[in-house]
Parts: sequence; structure tokens; C-alpha cells
Amino acid sequence: MKSVRFAILLAAVIVVQIGFLAALRPFGVVPNLILILVVLVGLAGTASRALTAALIGGLLLDLTSGADFGLRLGLLVLLALATGLVHRAGLDLTGPAVALVLVALATVVSDVVVLVGLAGDTTHWPVGLVVGQVVIEIMVNLGLTLAVRPLAHWAVAESGPAIG
Amino acid sequence: MNRSKTNRRILMAVGAGGLLTLVGFLGWLGPLRWVYDHTVTPVVTGLTRAGSTTSEALANLGHIQNLAADNQRLTRENADLRQRLAADAETRRDNELLRTQLGLEVAGAARQVSAEVVAFQPDSYRQFVTINKGSHDGLKPGMAAMSEGVLVGTLSDVQSGTAKIMLVTDPEFKLAAKDQDSGADGILQGQLGSGLTMDKIGQDVSVKPGDTVTTSGLGGLVPAGLFIGQIQAVDVHKNVIFQSAQISSPFKANKLRFVFVVLGE
Repeated sequence: MKSVRFAILLAAVIVVQIGFLAALRPFGVVPNLILILVVLVGLAGTASRALTAALIGGLLLDLTSGADFGLRLGLLVLLALATGLVHRAGLDLTGPAVALVLVALATVVSDVVVLVGLAGDTTHWPVGLVVGQVVIEIMVNLGLTLAVRPLAHWAVAESGPAIG
Repeated sequence: MNRSKTNRRILMAVGAGGLLTLVGFLGWLGPLRWVYDHTVTPVVTGLTRAGSTTSEALANLGHIQNLAADNQRLTRENADLRQRLAADAETRRDNELLRTQLGLEVAGAARQVSAEVVAFQPDSYRQFVTINKGSHDGLKPGMAAMSEGVLVGTLSDVQSGTAKIMLVTDPEFKLAAKDQDSGADGILQGQLGSGLTMDKIGQDVSVKPGDTVTTSGLGGLVPAGLFIGQIQAVDVHKNVIFQSAQISSPFKANKLRFVFVVLGE
């Protein structure tokens, strides 16, 4: 039953990310719902579930993207592994704090990796605009983390931490 | 579940990720892309339309107070364009007559294929869209895509039933361009934050704000004369070989719904 719930949530998140959010671009940025799901599943469920979400979600993001094949898949797999380590570290996972910190860090890292990849092609760097965009993306991702957390918990949680 | 079983699963997942990335780098993703195009793309198309419509509606809400002024400006612009169109038609007739008399080939209209945007780039910095036409419709990588008379990008990846367009505002986009007013050649380049510049313009030509920039037709499959935008500002530095200009393009990436791919004459 839990596997079915997880599969439904993963499919819904992927479709909403690739179809709706990429076209909507709230506040001029594209939030990363799959990244959020990987973190939440890694913290509330098991590392192998988080890796499954990272593999399927990352592959579909890469297939939708017009450039940098493998980048999103690689980043999400690393994020799933990092989240698994945090889960095993025995931190207090009852509240949303750990998930929020991980999502914020992962957003910054993924943005930096994409921007570093563009360094050779970009002659003009609008630093203020880029920093502003990263900050907005973090804020939107954090808001979505709080919104999706109960769903992730419903889909994968063991009897462990409750929603704080 | 015991720990060694979990570790084995993790290793298998990481291995699968590495293998998929390798397959992608080697360009062996054809069958996977075919499956994706026939399963995921039809599912997300409806949501893409919904996202695009919502985005446009939200943007329009913020501009409601400007509608009257915009309407007046567009009415004036429309009258001006009608006048120019009439003059252009006369010039075209003269051109065709002279070409016929000189025994030169008369240029025909470029063939175009219309396509719908079915997916947008799923991250913030790169600028691509996926359209629902591909190699079965005669599309090839490098062809130009237009929307509402403006160049929006070139095809970067063409599958049998879909294609990806690298938009002009992508930081890796480069294309030969021409300032129609001064005749200056340059390289059109996308910038981070959806900006657009024309670089490598010689210092010996005078380009100025308001000049019309079009494709130059040099190299590739993009024909000459496709409208790109207008020069907004010129950056002149005395001690460098080239000058550059910022271009303003009327196209907005998140409002793209339909495009026309230019197949050639």
C-alpha cells in the first residue's frame, strides 16, 4: 500500500514539475518539486525510496531539458545519498527544520553547478539579478517544502517522526 | 530490512544513475526519448497549457491599468506599419520585375511548419522549449523558429515527433546577425537573465539605438532577414576591437504557445 502511495505521489510531483511549474515560473523562477520530494522522502522514509525518486525524477527532468543531460540526475542522486546520511546521523526529524535546511542548500548547490557550467559562454554576469533569482528560488522551494511535507509523510513515513 | 541489503540497493541505484548518464553522453538515448515522447509528453502537455495560461493571466493582472495607453500606442503603430507594408509591397514588385528582366531567380516565400509548445525548460537559467513537431515533419537541427514575426530560437535537438528549441535568450545561443540600418554584421548572443546582445560589431560602423536587427543568413540553416529585435543601447569602448549592443526583443519566453519553424524556400 505504501509503495502505491509513493508511486502516486512521485508521478504527480513529476507531472506537476515538468508540465505546470516549468510553464508557470512563479516570480520568474522554476521551483524544483522533485528536489523537495527527494529530501522529504529521504528524511521521512528510506534511502532507497529517495534514490528511486531521484533516479526517475532526475532522468525525466534531463529528458525534458534541452541541455546538460545527466546533470539533474547526478545532483538528485547525490542529494538522496546525502539525505540518507543525515537520516542515519540521528538528528531530530520531528520538525521541518532539517528538511528546510537541506532544500535550501540543495537549491543553492544545483544553481551554482548550472551557473558554473555557463561560465565559459556568458560575457556579461548580472550578479544582482542572479543572486536575486537564487534567493527567490530558495524562498519558493521552502514554501513548497512546507506544503508537500504532509503528503510525503503520508506516502512514505515509517512509524517514526510526526509532522511538527 | 538489514543494512547490507539496503547498501546493495543504494549501490544499484547509484550504478543505474551512472549508466544512464553515460548512455546520454554517448548519444544512445533514442529509444528512451521515443518512449518519453509517447508517454510523458502527451500527459504534461495539458498541464503546460494550464501553467502557461495561468502565468499569462497573472502577468496581465499587473498590466490592466496600462491597457488604454497600450491600445493607443498599438493603434498608432498599426497605422504606421500598414503604411510601411504598402510601400514594401511596391518595392517587392519592382524588385521582382528587375530580377526577371536581369534573368535572376525570384526569391520565393520561406516554407514554414507550425508547432505547439508542449513543454518548457524545467529550471531557471537555461532557455529551451519542446514543440510537438519533429523530423517526420521535415525539421532539422539549426532551423529557425519564429513566433509573431520574431525569431525565438533555433532547433537544437530533433526527434521523430518532437524537437527542442534553444531560445535566443539562452546563454549558449549564438547566431550571425545584421543591423539593417547600418549594415553592420555581428554575433547575436543570449545572456543570463533573458538578455540579448549583439557582439563583434566592427568599430568602423555606426550603430545606434532603434536600429533593426535581423538574421544575416551567414552559415547554418537560418535564412537572412528574420526579425530579431531593435538595438536598445550601444557599448562603445575605445581600446577594444569590437563594439557590442544590447538588443530588445518583443518575444517573452513564458508566453510562447505556438511557433513557426522556417524550413527554407
